[in-house]
Amino acid sequence: MKLDEHEVNEIALESRLVLTEQELAGAVRYINNFLDMLDRFKELDLKDVEPFSFAEALECPLRPDTVISFPATQAILDESEHVDGPYFKVPRIVEAE
Amino acid sequence: MELYELNLNDVIEGLKAKRFSPSELYASCKQRIDTCEPNIHAFITRTDDTQPQTGNDGGIFAGVPTVLKDNLCTKGIRTTAASRILGDWKPPYDATAWKYLREAGAVLMGKVNMDEFAMGSTCGNSAFGPTHNPHDISRVPGGSSGGSAAAVSAGYVPFSLGSDTGGSIRQPASFCGVYGFKPTYGMVSRYGLISYGSSLDQIGPFARTVRDLQLVMSVLAQYDPMDSSCFREKNPDFTHREDVSLKGKRVALVKEFQDFTLDAPIAEAMTRTRKVLEDEGAIIAEVSLPVVARYAVACYYALAMSEAHTNLERYDGVRYGYTVTDAAGVKEMFERVRSYGFGSEVKSRIIAGTCLTEPSRCDEYYVAATKVRTLIAQEFARAFGETDYILQPVTPSLPHRIGEEDEDEMKVYETDLYTLPVNLAGLPGLSFFTGYAGNLPVGLQLIGPRWSDSGLLDAGVILERHLGSPKIANGGI
Amino acid sequence: MSELTFTPVIGIEIHIRLKTDTKIFCSCSTNPESPANTNICPVCMGLPGSLPRLNHNVVEKGMLAGLALNCSVQPKSLFFRKSYFYPDLPKGHQISQCDLPVVADGYIEVHDADGNLKKIRVNHLHLEEDAASMHHSASDGRLEGAATSYVDYNRAGMPLGEIVSEPDISSAQEAVEYAMNLQRRVRYAGASDADLDKGMMRFDANVSLKCSDGRWGRKVEVKNMNSFRALERAIEFEIKRQKKILLSGGEVLQETRHWNDAKGVTSASRVKEFYRKFIVEPDLPPLIVNQEWIDRVTAMMPEMPDVRANRYVNDMGLPRDVAEVITDDKNLADYFESCVKAGANPVRAAHWVRTEVLRVLNERGQKIDAFTVKPEVLAGLVSRVDDRKLSTTQGKEVFDYMCANGAGLEDAVKALGITEGGVAGNALNDIIAAVIAANPDVLEEIKSGKDKKGKKLKFLQGLVMKETKGQAKPQEVAEAIAKALE
Repeated sequence: MKLDEHEVNEIALESRLVLTEQELAGAVRYINNFLDMLDRFKELDLKDVEPFSFAEALECPLRPDTVISFPATQAILDESEHVDGPYFKVPRIVEAE
Repeated sequence: MELYELNLNDVIEGLKAKRFSPSELYASCKQRIDTCEPNIHAFITRTDDTQPQTGNDGGIFAGVPTVLKDNLCTKGIRTTAASRILGDWKPPYDATAWKYLREAGAVLMGKVNMDEFAMGSTCGNSAFGPTHNPHDISRVPGGSSGGSAAAVSAGYVPFSLGSDTGGSIRQPASFCGVYGFKPTYGMVSRYGLISYGSSLDQIGPFARTVRDLQLVMSVLAQYDPMDSSCFREKNPDFTHREDVSLKGKRVALVKEFQDFTLDAPIAEAMTRTRKVLEDEGAIIAEVSLPVVARYAVACYYALAMSEAHTNLERYDGVRYGYTVTDAAGVKEMFERVRSYGFGSEVKSRIIAGTCLTEPSRCDEYYVAATKVRTLIAQEFARAFGETDYILQPVTPSLPHRIGEEDEDEMKVYETDLYTLPVNLAGLPGLSFFTGYAGNLPVGLQLIGPRWSDSGLLDAGVILERHLGSPKIANGGI
Repeated sequence: MSELTFTPVIGIEIHIRLKTDTKIFCSCSTNPESPANTNICPVCMGLPGSLPRLNHNVVEKGMLAGLALNCSVQPKSLFFRKSYFYPDLPKGHQISQCDLPVVADGYIEVHDADGNLKKIRVNHLHLEEDAASMHHSASDGRLEGAATSYVDYNRAGMPLGEIVSEPDISSAQEAVEYAMNLQRRVRYAGASDADLDKGMMRFDANVSLKCSDGRWGRKVEVKNMNSFRALERAIEFEIKRQKKILLSGGEVLQETRHWNDAKGVTSASRVKEFYRKFIVEPDLPPLIVNQEWIDRVTAMMPEMPDVRANRYVNDMGLPRDVAEVITDDKNLADYFESCVKAGANPVRAAHWVRTEVLRVLNERGQKIDAFTVKPEVLAGLVSRVDDRKLSTTQGKEVFDYMCANGAGLEDAVKALGITEGGVAGNALNDIIAAVIAANPDVLEEIKSGKDKKGKKLKFLQGLVMKETKGQAKPQEVAEAIAKALE
């Protein structure tokens, strides 16, 4: 087993996920099975292989620097339960992270 | 014949000739939905409660009803990606693919079911419950675009849109007995498609004839500056032609796949299709894809999860979707929102993606996977130097019964071997109907090199001519 | 035992806001005056399904800033996702170039403790998006212990260039000079306004101490410095703090500390830093900058301030300190050069710009681009004073009048009652005073009553007329001298 319960739980918390005991057990089994599957990569000599980033030589298109205001900013605000006046209101970060 | 049974091309011609009106067509589809939906449960959100306004009377889809997978943003209409975490989110904008259809006059009947955030292959992994296969409601429709496939299969609408990250169009198309097309990566704008694995995701159509796929692709395949991975230079021609030929074309089988077992009807379909191709004058060949065969599944899941976990970092409850208002601190708020909002498969993949990109493991897993992907793309490029198309199964087996999934996720992932290499290399893939085994449809897959999309659909037209078109499923009636 | 000595090893990361009309990945305005949460859209709010689109001008401004720091442009660069959870980050990750930046390998110069020039290497400048701004306040307006934070996403997605130095800096003073020089240069290049008050320039410093006994303290990252003064104080504090630890035999922890400007201390950050490896941003293909673009931007680069100051000293004969004051602000130097181009003597013009123009700007809290006296007009004034058509005092009166009333040169002269081409009033009195002062014996003779025929008086009148180059009226001169002698 590559990762134990404690390690998987740490990773989950890093992703802001609090797992139930049952979920954690499932996640531990899942992750370890998955990492075992990825061990196949070790059979390959990847030293001189370039990482793939795009399916072919594609250049990032560039957008002109011209202001276009989004017409429905209010619709964006209306979707949040945390809007207070013109602001989004969230709890102050008080707990140690 | 009822209007809902008409294929897309017939619908367009019938409306144009005024043989029936858009509202008659609409009523017929609505009636069909009302009848079958209790058995199939394809919808997450229906938008057919009021008489629609047709978007554009002059457009080629004027008055044509359609449904969208619920990971495509629709302005002012709830979009959930089948997740609790999006709550009743109403996007303030339309996905480009839907915008193009709307501008062509298409009418939205609703948003359909999927596996949560497109993670899954059964359509059972949804916060809204499973969708059933219209051919046999005890079975899965496939996924993740199961709702889109089921809706076309059951005759709700003549065509629909889904998305394909590792087979999510092709596999449910095959399970539901319809045609499904995954275009070349970069052919269709992803703007407004809720991301799963951004470098793998592509939007595509479902329909009951190949010709109908061509019609939808002619509208979808337009350059969109809102998606930086969308190609500007390609101007594919999806015009339907009857006079196409496969004479002299090379169609290869993958050598390494021959050792893998297939359900008998699928193996039989391979033989039948091969015969059709030979009769049409195609040359059957063999290509070798050893890296694909052994490493594609691991490579795909490593990359999909690495990208997915960053795509899902935005769901924190601050700006939209499900939230809590009584958290003492931001960390607590994020934890409560995400722990409740995401389903278990999504959580597993987030944890896996986070794990693979940790500094201590990044080179071993994430970076290695990006390199294996290069090898896979190179292997396909070599193969397509030797052949024009590759014929292969979509899945090794026919749709299983709902609730009978393998407990071991890795075994389930291995069954995606035939579909996900296409996404890793950014290739186009057509899932086509070959006939029925009992009441269940059997589909196969034809794939081609990048930008061979229109040629691939031309080949599909020939296959359909010989293998026959699918009929509308009984929908559990 | 010999006394231990410590050498500070300091590297600085500076964020500058690149000067563009729209954000880095969407077409929202960058106007800092806009009401909260009005410059927002699906992209900068991280709405599901939205995708980033790179702003051409951000790349160009990044290139300009890089060239101003003697960096070279990289033909291919990439964007990555840098993850952390915080309400100010709409996507839960920041899109940043991190390891593969658009420009790299530069330097700028500072003076070391001995006054010698020293190169501080610039590792690179990379492009990235800013986070939203957060305001923390309690219901009674207190900041400390507030229960809620308010988020304004107008700032989310604003374009930043992060400039990372090598650890070549040895003191707080060098650090401040590095930062000031950098600010001046990116402003010259037009890449950023780098206005500290508006949060357009922010500092982080990495500080460690090398001890003469061979020990080397771990690197401490100090964040949250928003002024040159804060940068200096924070580094000085950190050097002292680490020295104390090392002297007592303790160990400096590798950590992130926050500068508290009000208290004047750094304190360990409670927020755990993420050291996650970045994944490639799959929604942005590689950024390719071709040679033609590099050439075009290189051609846009103005002369840098140090080169310019040297030219003023060597070619125009300006004193070093005056040249440096004038070149501190590119627009001021441009103003000065326009004056010279319009015919003013460079040394005299520089003196006027440095004393009079800067005085008025300071009084008014104005910048040179808002200054109403055009350089050609100032050039005319400087020349007239030079040609003694106006006395220095008159010149200043005319200058002040022009500043106050927005009048042209001729109108100001007329309004002040100075006869066109003539010397009168205070200017005449100045000359008379000078002439009298230069001839104490003549004054003595007149005062003692020996100049019965008024010859000496005539002599003085003659001298004054000569001094005014005949530009004064004899009648006025006689009267003025008589008055001066009273």
